[in-house]
Amino acid sequence: MGTFIQQVFNGLTVGGIYALIALGYTMVYGVMRLINFAHGDLCILGAFIGLTLLTGAAGSGHSGAVLLLLAFVLAVVVIAIAGVVLELVAYRPLRKADRLSAVVSALGASLLIENSIMLIWGPDVHVFPADLLPATTWSVAGANITFVQVMIILSSVLLMAALYFFIHHTRFGTAIRATAIDQDTAKLMGIKVNQVILTVFVVGPALGAIGGLFVGIYYREAYFTMGWTYGLYAFIAAILGGIGNIPGAMVGGVLLGLFNAFAAGYISSSWQDAITFALLIAILLVRPTGLLGEPDAGKV
Amino acid sequence: MSGHTQSQPVPPPSRFRVSGLAGPLLWAVGLAIPAVFDSSWVAIAAVFAIYAINALSEDVILGRGGMFDMGHAVYFGIGAYVTAILNTSFGWPIFATLPAAILLAAAAGALLAGPLMRLRGDYLLVATIGFNAIFVLTMQNDPGDITGGSDGITGIGVPSLFGLSLASQSAMFWLDWVVLGVVLLLMRNLDRCELGRAQRYLKQDELAAATLGVDARKVKTQTFALGAGLAGLAGTLFAVQLSTVSPASFVFTESVTLFAVVIVGGPGSVPGVLLGTALMFVVPQIFRDFAQYRYFVFGIAMIAVMVLRPQGLWPQRRRRA
Repeated sequence: MGTFIQQVFNGLTVGGIYALIALGYTMVYGVMRLINFAHGDLCILGAFIGLTLLTGAAGSGHSGAVLLLLAFVLAVVVIAIAGVVLELVAYRPLRKADRLSAVVSALGASLLIENSIMLIWGPDVHVFPADLLPATTWSVAGANITFVQVMIILSSVLLMAALYFFIHHTRFGTAIRATAIDQDTAKLMGIKVNQVILTVFVVGPALGAIGGLFVGIYYREAYFTMGWTYGLYAFIAAILGGIGNIPGAMVGGVLLGLFNAFAAGYISSSWQDAITFALLIAILLVRPTGLLGEPDAGKV
Repeated sequence: MSGHTQSQPVPPPSRFRVSGLAGPLLWAVGLAIPAVFDSSWVAIAAVFAIYAINALSEDVILGRGGMFDMGHAVYFGIGAYVTAILNTSFGWPIFATLPAAILLAAAAGALLAGPLMRLRGDYLLVATIGFNAIFVLTMQNDPGDITGGSDGITGIGVPSLFGLSLASQSAMFWLDWVVLGVVLLLMRNLDRCELGRAQRYLKQDELAAATLGVDARKVKTQTFALGAGLAGLAGTLFAVQLSTVSPASFVFTESVTLFAVVIVGGPGSVPGVLLGTALMFVVPQIFRDFAQYRYFVFGIAMIAVMVLRPQGLWPQRRRRA
């Protein structure tokens, strides 16, 4: 029973992180029908920027909470700007081009960001400082739940609720949903599609930067190829929920987190990744539109 | 007479003849590489030939077949591992492993084509990424103790032909170069044969092709089998050239590079794919001192080429379908 509850909390923590990163993939795909392969790398770039602030300011006398908040603000701002630059430089000129050109441009952007991290911070694993947050743990039915886990789960839920409200209850959110359904019609209705796409490239990477920083804080490490690993998982989460579907990315993230935790806890950790990819292929074959996707989303 | 040329536009005869001969001539000149350059350059040329075959095989599926295959390193890897395992564990001579490598890779391609062809566009792309990841993880986890885990398999033997051992780098280069020549001939014939035509019909309009009697299932399965088989062939040559195989050579980044080679060079265009191969696989070998900048520069180049020249560096000539 203790193991079970432990895996549920581990799964929810990782799932919250996957969901935050998956939202960036799904929003871009929903609006532009493009897999933004560079998204995972942007998120981890956020983690490195936060890490640099945290290690640079260590011993400055400020409390861990203040520093952490500053790290999140800095990472969010820088990554949101990077997201806009990415859209303007690598994607906007290809809006009318063949789909494959945009895919290769996205892969190029991914390689560029990943290797920029490697060139700036080096190829080694960086360790996140340990004493930032209280090391409090709670014991629930034989499982240990840490302060960091609770913080990640609560903040993910809050951020997702805020995004849900923004998408479904504001004028701008309505514009985003309209653009996702049909760009041309949205244009005819007076929606500035370019502005909508830019917004998506601010909100997605901003949430992703928080997700990336959570990855670093939770696993207490950061390395340059991490963006690929976590980006791919988050992307699988987005597909699981139905790519292009925002609540789907949230549900998909949490489900994948739980699935991963149980696969690692009960089956085999060396086959955990292979099982996850097999799940991905199974979903694609059985229900390519995902759990919450609309039926016609499959006709790409 | 003039009406005839109008209804059937053909390139001017002189240009046609030059471009038709330029390829074979360049290939023949390439045979002299070991006589002119030292062995490190010969090795680079051999790697070029191997990756050119690999990239052309990706082009069969991606460029000509129009199917977004981003897991092509799987078939390359199957070919390399089949040769490595049969040679080191079972003592087969290299040339005896070659048909097995081609057939098993082609069979894998045909087998995966079944579920894959039900998917379109991005979904197909994501599924092939999944297959690539599963392949690499399986090779690392070493089921049945035959793949050597993360370290892979070392000590792959030297090929010998009619009692003549092809041990020197020059001999291996000639082997690779001749095989590349055969593959290039095959690509030229593919343009003109039934499969090549059917591929073009399907790529342009699947529904219209189906109403004209093109069996999409059959064509797509054949396309995957052909592309995968050629990749398996390149895999054997790769295992021989390095005399070792390990999972790191077949990771997803390799598939991305192959995918990019085809799209950056020009899908469906043989000179384009060869140019792309030279840029992505040969240039990094020359600038080894700057190895850590390799993928950084690739990233910039991929974005720049796509933004400035989305059709690729050397696009396919427009042909009648």
